[in-house]
Amino acid sequence: MATFELYRRSTIGMCLTETLDEMVSSGTLSPELAIQVLVQFDKSMTDALETQVKSKVTVKGHLHTYRFCDNVWTFILTDAQFKNEETTEQVGKVKIVACDSKLLTQ
Amino acid sequence: MAEAALEGSEPVDLTKHPSGIIPTLQNIVSTVNLDCKLDLKAIALQARNAEYNPKRFAAVIMRIREPKTTALIFASGKMVCTGAKSEQQSKLAARKYARIIQKLGFPAKFKDFKIQNIVASCDVKFPIRLEGLAYSHGAFSSYEPELFPGLIYRMRQPKIVLLIFVSGKIVLTGAKVREETYTAFENIYPVLTEFRKVQQ
Repeated sequence: MATFELYRRSTIGMCLTETLDEMVSSGTLSPELAIQVLVQFDKSMTDALETQVKSKVTVKGHLHTYRFCDNVWTFILTDAQFKNEETTEQVGKVKIVACDSKLLTQ
Repeated sequence: MAEAALEGSEPVDLTKHPSGIIPTLQNIVSTVNLDCKLDLKAIALQARNAEYNPKRFAAVIMRIREPKTTALIFASGKMVCTGAKSEQQSKLAARKYARIIQKLGFPAKFKDFKIQNIVASCDVKFPIRLEGLAYSHGAFSSYEPELFPGLIYRMRQPKIVLLIFVSGKIVLTGAKVREETYTAFENIYPVLTEFRKVQQ
């Protein structure tokens, strides 16, 4: 199954990529295996978000910019409020990138 | 809202508007030819507030906040600008879109700008007997309350379509210049007073 590489840019994805890079350059890991790990990471993230994350977050803010191209929505919000059951978080500027996961199964 | 305030404060020129009511312009649709082929995907990727979904619609949909409008931009270089509240605002908005396209590196011109449609609305502030109106102006009227609650009045001179509602609210559409809207309203106003509904 194909997956998005979207989550590689998250903090956890960046850390993983950095570690893999280090291991490849020091010779403890082959580049092929590093790629395989990243592909597995894409799958695991998609799977984890689908099956293990139950909490819901609402986002409210001023829509500064939006874009829809190649089936990807991009939103830039200013003065956004992220709210879940426990906490609220105020953010001055945030970029949201959203893909339609249904497109992968087609 | 500015126009609504203006209506109340400034006296209406009764020689131009004998009814004392000036229809408020609600939407202007204009077209212009940018006269160059456009790469819509490049535009959608670079410009802000753009949507491009070629599977659904073969144009980039772009919006600006001032004047608050929406533009449909086609690969041929033709553009449609909607949502402006006056002719000048529509032209200004179209120019802004053309400027955005230029800034993205296309040799966009501004050819054959034309206002294609003007929509206006107003309120005569009394209820209207639509059945009576439809009956006496049968040649121009279509009133099918089971399909649509308003009476559709197709005026021949000027060629304007009016939607007339029981509430006294009127929508006028099809004008290329605002005077056609005003003339159409002054033409219909005496007819509306004739079919004013008397409240029990």
